[in-house]
Parts: sequence; structure tokens; C-alpha cells
Amino acid sequence: MKLFAIVFAVSVFAFGVVMMRIEINRSGRAIGQLHTEVEVKRARNQYLELEVVRLQSPQSVQAEAAEKLHLRRTPPQNIVVLEE
Amino acid sequence: MFKQNSPFAYNAKARMKLCGLLCLLAPLCIGVRLFYMQTFLHDELADKAERAIYNYLDEDRLRGNIYDANGHFLAESVRTHSCGISKRYVKDKAKTIDFLSKTLGISKKQIEREWNKHRNFFFVAKKIKPDVYMKILPVLRTPLGQGLDLTPEYERVHPYGDSAIDILGAANSKNLGLSGIEQMFNSEMSQQISKRRAKRARRGELIYDRSLKEERSVGSVYLTLDILAQYYAEQALEKAVKDYEPERGLILVQQPQTGRLLAAASYPRKDGQSLAFQFTYEPGSTFKTIAISSALDAGAVSINDAIDMSGRKWEIARGVVVRDRQHDKDELTIPEIMAVSSNIGAGKIALELGAKNLFYYMKAFGFGTKTDINFNGESKGYILPYNKWTVVDTATKGYGYGIALTPVQLIGAYSAVANGGWLMQPHLVDRIEYADGRTEQKAKTQKIRRVIKQETSDTMKKVLEHVVQEGSGKRARIKGYSVAGKTGTAEKLSQEGGYATRHHVVSFCGFTPIDDPQFTILVVLDNPSKYTFGGTAAAPVFKEVAEGLLSMQGVPPDRPEELQPKPKTPKI
Repeated sequence: MKLFAIVFAVSVFAFGVVMMRIEINRSGRAIGQLHTEVEVKRARNQYLELEVVRLQSPQSVQAEAAEKLHLRRTPPQNIVVLEE
Repeated sequence: MFKQNSPFAYNAKARMKLCGLLCLLAPLCIGVRLFYMQTFLHDELADKAERAIYNYLDEDRLRGNIYDANGHFLAESVRTHSCGISKRYVKDKAKTIDFLSKTLGISKKQIEREWNKHRNFFFVAKKIKPDVYMKILPVLRTPLGQGLDLTPEYERVHPYGDSAIDILGAANSKNLGLSGIEQMFNSEMSQQISKRRAKRARRGELIYDRSLKEERSVGSVYLTLDILAQYYAEQALEKAVKDYEPERGLILVQQPQTGRLLAAASYPRKDGQSLAFQFTYEPGSTFKTIAISSALDAGAVSINDAIDMSGRKWEIARGVVVRDRQHDKDELTIPEIMAVSSNIGAGKIALELGAKNLFYYMKAFGFGTKTDINFNGESKGYILPYNKWTVVDTATKGYGYGIALTPVQLIGAYSAVANGGWLMQPHLVDRIEYADGRTEQKAKTQKIRRVIKQETSDTMKKVLEHVVQEGSGKRARIKGYSVAGKTGTAEKLSQEGGYATRHHVVSFCGFTPIDDPQFTILVVLDNPSKYTFGGTAAAPVFKEVAEGLLSMQGVPPDRPEELQPKPKTPKI
């Protein structure tokens, strides 16, 4: 009876360990997938951010302003700086 | 059937032993097999298991970003992938090519051409964007994806195009800095992540492990450059190149009070090759400012002195004659010498100062010494020791011949004249910010030494303002603002010996506004194909850049009276 109890306890422990390993692997895999996804999304986001920067660049702004609004740079003496 | 003592007679014990042995036979066989595998097949099986269970992540190198003074991205690494094919592992060539063609947007013909060109492995596409990567990734472990390979790499992206690329330099797809700032700060900006082993699932996905996470310690470099100032400089230089077709050109902008470089534009624009540091030239008349400042500071001449110009011809030594053709006066004061850019006047003043004094002043202004910026390939220029100078050498140095200097040295000297006499340490890098929160400040305002007295600086400002108001630098005038500067048109050394009259370096160096200088700007056009002068070619470029910068900084006009409309004279 005693032997049976020990074998049973060991089996339960071993089962627990195996289940834990499986669970660790499963969640590790899920985290790995999420990491890949995050990395890809981050890269995609980076491209979008860079596109925003490109569109905000003086070259783009000046080109757009000249082409669409027919604006041109004013000389500095026309700029009025308002005191805060 | 059997006798009692027969060995075949029913014997429970013996049968149990037999059964026991039979039962043990299987584990015994397994044990023997395991022993065999562990000892004789160990290497082969371990290798198989390794490949089945683990993935080796490639060596990786993280890289920080480069920003301008206001935190605008100038360079950033974006993770991309290259898609390659190992022909021998491809199951169905037609299907694989069809898939790649649709996913990568490359024609089938092109892929097939590459296929036929290579024996086994070749890259189909490089720098694959994340969306495309996500389409290929799930296919990799399916029969269709056999033979396909996605190699991670980086793309160094410059959102402002090639703006300031001569300063920024280049980094390769492995995130290694090759030139310019990228190379200078390679160790600070990059972090090597060694090859690591990661457990993988059946389909090849990585199983995350804490050991895979690495603390990031890469640094991002913040430059002192302002992308808007850089844009104004590049735009003006582009226009000047179009108009005068020089071999080389550059515009450099510095804050005279702090020594920070706000813009450094070069033509031609090449990765990591900034003319501001690497170009050496004889400055010509822009150097008169240095020689005359030195003479005034040393007390060799005073501002009211009149220099003899009789005949507008001066024989420095036997056979060496200098002529002034731009004026018809027999006497010139120092402001007039500067305004008409008289070589005779500057030469005579240099002789008054003396070789030794001029040499020491030149050294004090920073000529003949590299700046602490230590930009790749930075030149220190060239000044011969004064004890080797002849009288002619001393005189010609007065108007900028017989020395070689770099633009960053000259702009530093003009900034010293502008800021009251202090040579400032020039800065290109403001700070480095590390991923772990540390900040390394690089651009601390640092006065290297006082070069000229405050009074000399004040006098020279007036002299240089006179050059712009009345002299050769008229085209640098900006309505409503005080501008000081000096033009330069230097003949270039000829390959046949002497100076080539048709090959020039034209330049203008100046600052604005005079009382509280915000910007020192140097414009240099090397060997314009159209015959021109510093006052006609470089001064308008200065004006264009200065106007942009004054607007950018919102500097109010310091000569508002110039903006008042002039009263109309009634017609009689």
C-alpha cells in the first residue's frame, strides 16, 4: 500500500512536471508568435512614421505649398514675431 | 501426459521465470539499442535532434538612430528581410515561382532568369517590407515554401532623402557604420547580439525564452545640425551649382556664440564626405579679415591709418609685383582696403604685423590644426612655419595666398570676430542618448581661447559691415538686417606652376545681425565654369541662406529704418 502511494505520488509529480513543460512550451510559442507579430508591426509602424517625417520635411512642404497653394517663402523682414 | 519429474511437467515457478525473462527481453533489446545509439550514433542523432528542436538565430546588430538638433529623424534602421531560394530543396519549381512572383511583385521571367543564372542559391528580392514578409512567413514550413529562405537584414532609412548625407554617412544592411557620423560613432550606436539558440515548435515558430531577451544599450546620436537650416543651405547651394557650375561647392553655417554647426552642405553630395572638413583651399581675400584683425589687435596698424597705394602697384620683392585694378586711389584706409579688397593694402598690413606675429595669430585662430570634431578625413590645412617665410610669403598671406585651410577653420575664425574675439570649439554632435537612459553630452559650449580683444572685434564688425554696405559684398545685403562679411576670389594653383587665371575659388564669409550675431555663414564655390567673383556668385548665396535662417529663427530686424518706405519725390 505504501509502495503504491509512493508510485502514485511520483506519477502525479511526473505528470505535473510534464504538463508544466508542455504549458511552458505552448505559452513560449505563443509569446514567440506575438514577438514576431510585434516586430513586424513595429517595422510597419516605423515605415509609416518615416513616411510622415518625409511628408513633413521642408522639401515636401515647400513643394506642396508652391504647387497647390502657389505660396513662396517670405523674406525675414515680413515675419512678425509675437511676444508671448 | 508428462511424468511428475519430467522437465516439461507443469511447473508454475519455471514458467513464471520464463515469462519474466521474455518480458525483460524487450526492455533489454531497447536498452541495448539505446546503448548503441548513445555510443555509436550519438553525434549523428544529437545533430538531428538539435536541428529538430532548435533554431539558431542569426547574429544581430542593433543600431541607434541619428537625429537633428530638434529631434527629427535623420537616419533610422528598419528591419527588413531578403528572400532567397535554394534550388535543390524546391519541390515544385513552377508553383514556387508563381507564388513568389505574386507575393513579391516580380515578373516570373525575371525570377526564372535568375534561376537559370545560379547553380543553387540566389536572392529573389532584398529589403522586403513587413507586409510581404508576413505573407511569406507562414508558407515557409509548407511544401510550397521548401527551399525558400528569409534572411533578416536592415535598411538604413533617411526620411529626408540625401539631405546631410555627406555628414551622416552610410551604414550597411548588417547595421555596420561605413562612413561619416555612422562610422565615427559606430561603437556607441551599435550593439552586437551574438548568435543565440532558440527552441522551435513543429512548424518552425520560435518558442520564447527569457534568455532570448537582451538588454538594449544602443545609443542614438543627436547632431547640432538643424534640418531646416540644412535644407536652406542645400537649396541655395543647388541653385548656385546650377547657375555657376562649380566643380565643388559648400555652405557651412555656425552659431558664433556656441560654435555649433547648424548646416553643412556639400556639392557633390557623397556619403560621409563633407567638404566642410575635408576640403582644403587657399582662401584668398576672405583671409584679409584674419590678417587685418590680427594687425589691429597687435597694434601694428590702427583703423584710421592710411596705406599708400601710389600707382596701384607694389613691388614686394624684385620681380614680384602686386596690382590693384579695382580702385584708382593713391591712399586707402583700412575699411576702404577691405571694401575694395585691396591686395596691396592687405599685403602691406601683413608686413607691418610681421611674419612671426601673423603666424601666431593664424595659429591662435585655429589654422593649421584639426578641430576636435575629428570628422573622418578631416584635414588640418597647411601653414609653413614662419621662419621659412620670405617677405613675399608674409605679404601674400595677408591676402590669403600661401596657406591652405579648411572651411570649418575659416568659419570658426569669422565666428571669433563676430562673438567678441573668442575662438569657440565647433560642434557637430550635441549628445548621445543610450537606450538605458544614459545621456552623454558632447556639445558643451567651450571657449578655446581669446584670439582678439573685444575692441578689435567691434572695430572689425564695422569694417566688415562697410564691405557689405559699400564694398564688394553688396549683394549680401538683407533689407532690415545688418550684415558683415568679406568676399573672396582666389586663383587656383596651376598644374603647370604658378596660378591659373581662369580657375578660381570664389567665396563669401559673413555673419548677421552684427550686434548679436546669430549665424556665421561661409559659401565656397570651387572652380565655377562661368567666370565670376565672390561678390557676384557667393554673396547672393549667403543672402539667400541668411534670409532663410533669420526667418527660421524669427530674428527681428535690427535695422528697422531700412524697412520704412522712402518718401516719394514729387515729379516736377
